[in-house]
Amino acid sequence: MDLSIAQNWFFIIIALAMVMASLIVVTTRNVMHAALMLVGALAGSAALFVLLGAEFVAGVIVLVYIGAIIVLFLFGVMITRVEIGRSQSLDHERKWPAAVIAIGTFAVLAGSSVAFFGDEEIEGVAAVRTSDIGTAIFERFVVPFEVVSFVLLAALIGGIVLARRDDPES
Amino acid sequence: MFDYHALAPDFIVAGTVLAVLGADLFLPAGRKWLSAVVGILGLTLALIPIATLAAGDEGVRAMLDGSYVIDDFALVLKVFFILTGYIVLLMSVAYIEEDRYYQGEYYFLLLASLLGGMVMASSRDLVTLFVGLELVSGPAFLLAGWRKADSRSNEAALKFFVIGVLSAAILVYGMSLVYGMTGSLTFEGIRAASASVAEEPVFVLGILLVLVGFGFKISAVPFHFWAPDTYEGAPTPVTAYLSVGSKAAGFVGVLLVTYVAFGGAPDIWGPTLWILAALSMVVGNLIALRQENIVRLLAYSSIAHAGFMLVPFAAAGLVEGASLNQAFEATVSYVLIYGIMNLGAFAVVIAAARRTGSGQIRDWAGLGSYAPGISILLTLFLFSLAGIPPLAGWYAKFVMFLAVLQDANGWTIVLAAIAAVNAVIALYYYARVVQSVWMDAPPEHINPEPEPTGVSPSLGLAFGMLAVAVVVVGVFPELIAQFAKAASLIAGG
Amino acid sequence: MTIAQFLVLSAALFSIGIYGVLVRRNAVLVLLSVELMLAAVNINFVAFGRYFADATAGGQMFALFIITVAAAEVGIGLAIVLLIFRNRASANIDELDVLKW
Repeated sequence: MDLSIAQNWFFIIIALAMVMASLIVVTTRNVMHAALMLVGALAGSAALFVLLGAEFVAGVIVLVYIGAIIVLFLFGVMITRVEIGRSQSLDHERKWPAAVIAIGTFAVLAGSSVAFFGDEEIEGVAAVRTSDIGTAIFERFVVPFEVVSFVLLAALIGGIVLARRDDPES
Repeated sequence: MFDYHALAPDFIVAGTVLAVLGADLFLPAGRKWLSAVVGILGLTLALIPIATLAAGDEGVRAMLDGSYVIDDFALVLKVFFILTGYIVLLMSVAYIEEDRYYQGEYYFLLLASLLGGMVMASSRDLVTLFVGLELVSGPAFLLAGWRKADSRSNEAALKFFVIGVLSAAILVYGMSLVYGMTGSLTFEGIRAASASVAEEPVFVLGILLVLVGFGFKISAVPFHFWAPDTYEGAPTPVTAYLSVGSKAAGFVGVLLVTYVAFGGAPDIWGPTLWILAALSMVVGNLIALRQENIVRLLAYSSIAHAGFMLVPFAAAGLVEGASLNQAFEATVSYVLIYGIMNLGAFAVVIAAARRTGSGQIRDWAGLGSYAPGISILLTLFLFSLAGIPPLAGWYAKFVMFLAVLQDANGWTIVLAAIAAVNAVIALYYYARVVQSVWMDAPPEHINPEPEPTGVSPSLGLAFGMLAVAVVVVGVFPELIAQFAKAASLIAGG
Repeated sequence: MTIAQFLVLSAALFSIGIYGVLVRRNAVLVLLSVELMLAAVNINFVAFGRYFADATAGGQMFALFIITVAAAEVGIGLAIVLLIFRNRASANIDELDVLKW
């Protein structure tokens, strides 16, 4: 990787921030902080997508993930009153085996990727335009697009049924 | 660009899903069961275009760059999912109406999940396969928690959900690596591009992660631990659906990715699935021996059956020049027959549990003396699961052994031996239940007087049809064999 | 930019997510860790899509579908957590002990 290119410095800063944020997500004793740090990690991925020329996906990440999903999480945290302050009971005792598994997974995945791709550059081709994505959704990917709308509808209806408080008489 | 005839079955079921939801808005509270009738009518209607597609001789109809396909495999599995939907709807009507659990929404979610299975059967690219799988599992998570006031049902849903989203994340990570190595999302493209990268560690990791993801869905050991708890806690008709429909959807995924997408890398998935098959059979059966609850017993037996279904993969992957078609056909036959007999077993469990007021096997002692009809059916389905001729289960085991022994090498012979030992173990615990039902005296607290309501007509219809199917398929296995043979054409060799 | 740097980052996020899933007891926190794993998958897909200059935008499309499915999953998950909280006043997975592991 050529450090003289501004893009690479940009990548390194964002990547480090993302890794730090995700480490906090999985280690913090405060549920609220975990959700907010996930916002940080996802915002970083949105920035990387801009770097990769995928502005539409970056926009969707900001609007859907950060705007909607995380807000849903915060609602969930607040409604269920998971201890919002510092809490001792959030983690298992078995931290070391989990850390070994995680580090092993990272070593295998990262090592094999680096060994195969080496320093192959991402080509400087023109980025996919948003209109291409629109075309792809309604031509090549129209079936999964329709199917995913059923997934959302089912989640909506079923979620309401499970989460609503039943009237005592019915 | 669109072949509307080919898409018609899926369109009709999709319309049915929405019609059931819409009907629920207008039906008065006492007649919510009519939404199940809407569902049954819609599923019947969907069989018409399937029949015309099967009768037509246009061969494979491919759409959208070959990512969505109607071929014999897709048609056979679509019919299987539709019939599973029929039976589960029939099993559910009385069960769900009794407790007034949001019936319209229940049928809506059940049919939506089935639609996911039908989409998976036609999918020939990773995106459609993944989205279809999510449509199978999303509603299933919710259905598992449908008995809202029952904390065991809540926990069943949570456990199933956590494992489900985790396995989906692992699955898509594997898919992303496969995409990265081949540059293609369609199975055809992956297969064509995989020749040059088949030995690369990144590609191997991709395949392994995809198999782990599906391993959770089919509840193969060591990814099975959620299944017994979820099966026990969920409403019993939902458990029947999970153990047949949801598991079949997982097997559709495994069949498509191994034989079609990763057809160029059998030396990776062959040994992996050998291990999963052996572990699932041994662990599933050994733990089933110790179960006191009939649903947990059937849960562990369904884990063991997943192992039997994985056996032909090992033969296809490990033996040079083995007939892929035959192995594929064996797994499809097993899935179809397992579906019939396992749905039957759960239908009878619902009836017997209502009769005895218990799911514990010891409370079922002497059931034969006061409820002979239910006991005969229970015997029928359990012996079929054990593989005793002339019931359908024998043919499933027969084609499985045929596939693994016809072109055998050392590895497949060892696996066949493990399968044979396990078939005997399974026979023991099924027979133990049957023996207790017929030979033992009823426990004191069971009231042998028949209930005034008896078995509901819809439930009776469900297990009546399944009992006929188990016997007829057992005597004339060609009925299943010809469909499985037609479906196996996509295995390519 | 090389493709490998994106893959190493995504491997790191995926592994951190796995650590979170294994260590956390609280269902909401397990779900947050799974979201990290899905974020890693999205990085892979978008980076590979750029690498192959995929004409049908396949990599980006897969990422968009994953985001949509994740939204549905979070909705389902929080409904289940809410239900359990109503009945049990706890969202910790370990305290679910009616059914043994």
